[in-house]
Amino acid sequence: MARVAFEAASKVYGDGTRALDKLDLAIEDGEFMVLVGPSGCGKTTALRMLAGLEDITDGVVRIGERVVNGLSPKSRDIAMVFQSYALYPHLTAYDNIAFALRIKKVPKDEIRRRVEEAARILGLVALLKKKPRALSGGQRQRVAMGRAIVREPQAFLMDEPLSNLDAKLRVKMRADIKKIQTNLGVTTLYVTHDQVEAMTMGHRVAVMRKGELQQVASPEDLYHRPLNMFVGGFIGSPAMNMLEAAVERRNGSFEIVVGEARFVLAQETLAAHPQLPAYENRSIVLGIRPESLEDAALVDGDHHPRLRGDAELREALGSEMLVHFSIAARPAVTDEVRELAEDVGDDRTLEHLAEGVPAHATLVGRFSADTRVREGDSIEVAVYERALHFFDRESGLAL
Amino acid sequence: MGIRLLGLGARMAILLVFAIFFIAPVLWLILAPTKSDNALVTSSPFSFGSFHNVAQAWNHLDAYSDHLYRRWIANTLIYSLSATAITLAISIPAGYGLALGKFWGRKLILTLTLVVMIMPAASLVLPIFLELNALHLIGSVFSVILPFSFFPFGIYLAYIYYATSIPSELLDAARVDGCGEWLTFRRVALPLAKPVVALVFFFSFVANWNNFFLPYVVLADSNQYPITVGLSNLLASTPSFNPAVGGGGQSVNIFKPELALATLLAVIPVAIVFLLSQRALVRGTLGGAVKQ
Repeated sequence: MARVAFEAASKVYGDGTRALDKLDLAIEDGEFMVLVGPSGCGKTTALRMLAGLEDITDGVVRIGERVVNGLSPKSRDIAMVFQSYALYPHLTAYDNIAFALRIKKVPKDEIRRRVEEAARILGLVALLKKKPRALSGGQRQRVAMGRAIVREPQAFLMDEPLSNLDAKLRVKMRADIKKIQTNLGVTTLYVTHDQVEAMTMGHRVAVMRKGELQQVASPEDLYHRPLNMFVGGFIGSPAMNMLEAAVERRNGSFEIVVGEARFVLAQETLAAHPQLPAYENRSIVLGIRPESLEDAALVDGDHHPRLRGDAELREALGSEMLVHFSIAARPAVTDEVRELAEDVGDDRTLEHLAEGVPAHATLVGRFSADTRVREGDSIEVAVYERALHFFDRESGLAL
Repeated sequence: MGIRLLGLGARMAILLVFAIFFIAPVLWLILAPTKSDNALVTSSPFSFGSFHNVAQAWNHLDAYSDHLYRRWIANTLIYSLSATAITLAISIPAGYGLALGKFWGRKLILTLTLVVMIMPAASLVLPIFLELNALHLIGSVFSVILPFSFFPFGIYLAYIYYATSIPSELLDAARVDGCGEWLTFRRVALPLAKPVVALVFFFSFVANWNNFFLPYVVLADSNQYPITVGLSNLLASTPSFNPAVGGGGQSVNIFKPELALATLLAVIPVAIVFLLSQRALVRGTLGGAVKQ
């Protein structure tokens, strides 16, 4: 087990594509680090550079104290779980798990002991004699995990290991992998494009975009204090609502103007976002998490600012209700918004954006399950103003 | 309804005509050794003679030049199996390297392989002859085995197989699991190549078995002939095909039934190899390697 570090590590392909730009990232000994980002953000490239499957164009990659830039994969003492599992189809589950140990010429008894131990942890004991093609997706995934575990390596590298499983199995394996990692205490770098996996599994999460590291933080910090619009929009599901807004001063207090609505900013909010007054009479991007919105009919008193809109769609999740509604305000249209829409394959939003900035913004609110809102209703929505996010329009940085 | 039946009937009739057209010569050849030379011309083309005639034809054929026919079959087996063994040892790693390796000149080598593959073998006979002559190999078994050990089509088959059927993640997994390049090939890529090994084995063996022109040019001693050259030699010494020989065929006791038998027997090893390699060409060897 070891600390793993990227120091200004870059990857430039032959055609000039810069897949990874000066990545500085240290994964502490025993830490579970998740690399997350949309496809093409360089996360898999970083992982493969650490594995030795991709050359390092510039910078340094360390495993422990060793600089591994020039080392072949076999000399790096790391184990990897692939997205496709990459099980050897001509070998049984047992032989798949034992493969690396045999290559290392570990004594037979020792191999048997370690394979059986791994099989016990992963619930594979009854399946050891089967070949991969006789196994289900989840079983294959566990064999791939077993292959990594028996190595007792310096680090685990996992490249979207759950993306080929169905939703239920994914939730179970998510917990299993987390448990195994905690018990073994092996330094782990886990790549995923699924922000739910990132949030639930990682001690820390590194968000990447276009080859550049955006933010490294604990899941809570990432969620509540995103450093920029991209992180804010990427982390969280449903995604943060992004609106064009303006900062104005009236009667001595600062107000946020969104379409027809105006919110007075509380002192606490101003204290938490000290840069806001400097944006007086300028437009900014306002970020509202879905759970910061609630059906006003269910909120006591009127000390929360309100938005007026029309309900378009309800999605009942049982414990809560997701309500899509439109308000007379302009959605924020920036590169980040386009990129995030592209990443989730949201063609409708992309089409809208191509036609210029629409006059109406569609928001998603996470309402209490008691809400009586129906499609087509005119609704009032309360905004929990303390949980708002503010971003600079040009730089995308949080204010 | 009537029209549909008519259409079906027409289709069946066309298929039947073609089937008969192609099967008739084969049937004639199979029946030929059962008849005497005379009956072959006089009796109905598809009549059966007797097994006695087959035995007699074999005795004549086997007696020809002191078991020379057996010698030719043995020679051909040695030539074909040796050249095929070398071909396999070269093509599989070469195709693997061309498909999955990253090295300078890869495209050039691949293009050259394809160009040589589409060149007719006969066009190279003269330069190969000159080369073998310069190396003093003319008349030795190597002059037949070595030129045919280079089998570009085999390399191409292996290349196609590795380029399309082996996911690169599988090789990456082996590398991370501690294999160097040799072990990655030996422990993962090679065991997965069974279908293409069978395919290359079959095509190479057949190409070698049927190889005629080169051995015809480089071998002088009839004891060294492969079966192809031997058969043509046999044909040339049969009066019914080559009246210039004279003697009415009695001198060698080789007539049309003997020739038919010689031809039929020469096909058997190829048929066996086909059956064996076909069994190994199992689909789905890669099932379960990666999620599709």
